[in-house]
Amino acid sequence: MNGRIVDDGNTVSLSGRFTVRDLKRVTRALGTGATQSTIVDFSNCQSMDTSIAVRIWSIIEAAEASGRVFKLTGMNSDTQQIFDRFKVIDDWPAPPVEDHTLLYNFEDIGDKVLATWRTVYGLAVFAGKAFKALFSGKFRGSITAYYMEQSGVMAIPIIITLNWLMGVVLGYQAGYQMSQFGGELFMPALLAYSICWDIAPMMTAVLVAGRSGSAFAAEIGTMKVRQEIDALEVMGFNIYGFIVTPKMIALFAVMPLLITAANFAGMAGGLAAGGMFLKMPAVVYIAEVKKAIIPFDLYWGVIKGFFYSTIISITGSYMGMRVRGGPASVGRATTSAVVVSIFLVILVDALLSLLFIHIRPGLTL
Amino acid sequence: MSDKIIQVESLTGGYDGKVVLKDVTMEAVRGEVLVIVGRSGCGKSTTINYMLGLQKPYSGKIYFDGADIWSSPEALISARRRWGVLFQSGALLGNYTVVENVMLPLKEFTSLTRAEMRDVAMSKLELVGMAHAASENSLEISGGMQKRAGLARAMVLDPEILFFDEPSAGLDPVTSAELDNTILSVNRSLGTTLIIVTHELYSIFAISDRVIMLDSEAQGIIASGTARDLADHSEDPRVRSFFGRKIGE
Repeated sequence: MNGRIVDDGNTVSLSGRFTVRDLKRVTRALGTGATQSTIVDFSNCQSMDTSIAVRIWSIIEAAEASGRVFKLTGMNSDTQQIFDRFKVIDDWPAPPVEDHTLLYNFEDIGDKVLATWRTVYGLAVFAGKAFKALFSGKFRGSITAYYMEQSGVMAIPIIITLNWLMGVVLGYQAGYQMSQFGGELFMPALLAYSICWDIAPMMTAVLVAGRSGSAFAAEIGTMKVRQEIDALEVMGFNIYGFIVTPKMIALFAVMPLLITAANFAGMAGGLAAGGMFLKMPAVVYIAEVKKAIIPFDLYWGVIKGFFYSTIISITGSYMGMRVRGGPASVGRATTSAVVVSIFLVILVDALLSLLFIHIRPGLTL
Repeated sequence: MSDKIIQVESLTGGYDGKVVLKDVTMEAVRGEVLVIVGRSGCGKSTTINYMLGLQKPYSGKIYFDGADIWSSPEALISARRRWGVLFQSGALLGNYTVVENVMLPLKEFTSLTRAEMRDVAMSKLELVGMAHAASENSLEISGGMQKRAGLARAMVLDPEILFFDEPSAGLDPVTSAELDNTILSVNRSLGTTLIIVTHELYSIFAISDRVIMLDSEAQGIIASGTARDLADHSEDPRVRSFFGRKIGE
């Protein structure tokens, strides 16, 4: 029998079974009494769940604070037991109070700065240990080949497609602007420089960070959660040598090749844009590109590739190793791996660009 | 050679500065099955982690075969080569088959040929009743099988001591009893010292030579002895309620 409430002005009688679905009715019946003294009669109340009991309890507490008196009668032992649990409510630990003071906000900023510093420091120490293992540990060919396939071979279609599209867009936009001044013949040179110096290496690095950096973090994070890393450590394995260096070597091997492929894909995109939008013959485009770039421009991408490989493999592995607790932590590690990798790639790209200006033959400002 | 294979001396440790174990001293004797018991959160797994060198204690020492495992990185590495561990999940590597998982330590630390490594691994899998599943992917077998494969891997270098962190967790009673038998046969046939963390009463009575009971309020050991002794004669209500485990007590 569902809960029934009868209110005769002085006495509220509850009969039947009360569940959380009766919360509103019970609140209305007890919360709006006009009289100073109310009797709540439980004689025919067969049962009530905890949500109903806590609501009645809090109504009584609030009402008594304002001078209204409740008298509870006829409770059976089960109902009484539920109510008795709330008698020690004051002994329970209070919920933490959120601090919104100005001082707290400064402390919060300080905590975040310290956490960032600890991440940077941890990353540097991790990189040191990984490089030590790289030069002193043994080479694991089959694992390295697996990561070369995952990070290199399987990334080729997306990297070539996106860089080709970048070439098309850049070629079209540059060509359109230049054609306003009759300078469309300079488009191939501008595009080749942009692609080789920055766009192709950076796009490749961002894509590899998104594909492989996140995969490294997720893989290692899951291994942490499943205690596989602990097991390897306890078996006496050098974790850096077994887990991190195969990923580093794999990226060292494939990244320069991916960037070189991206260079040619980007320039092919420019060729397509020149042909489609500027009616530029292919031989003219190729001749202009050859006139503009030198082998150093292609090597530069390869050099950048080594820096980016280090950043992506170390950051992905480090974020994975930091996983503590459950699966949610793996998700956070994956996000951090991608965000931090891309940030560092762009930072290093900016620094390398400053260097590039000084070392590229034939480049004067 | 000392009888004591592992000694924990005045160990104090915990997590994030919070003390879980305070001034704990214990030891395991060669060839015995030592079971560490206690309620959830009392520091059983933490104790094992300290013994394995996965965490550095706030204070105190851990000696393996008389040598302090934290005296140098080399001391820890050389100790680890002489012990094996079975973690709660089995901790098999997901990219490998069962037999490849068991062969991993052989690949890393021995100069055996691939065929020899496979033979050693298969003999250990046979011992734990897993030879039939050698070529299965390690993540595509049941939880009980993963644990038995993990046990084979832990034993592959014939360790002097084997650690088990809640080996029965998540297993049905029949599989759990089978695993207990396997564990016991490793001890009886190879003489390997076993240190087992568990709160499964059946396992405690079935396999232990000696039991140490930890308590979270005491932050350390509250009882030590044979399982039967603790169950029948302990005066401590915490010990009695753990071994009695009667509803309403």
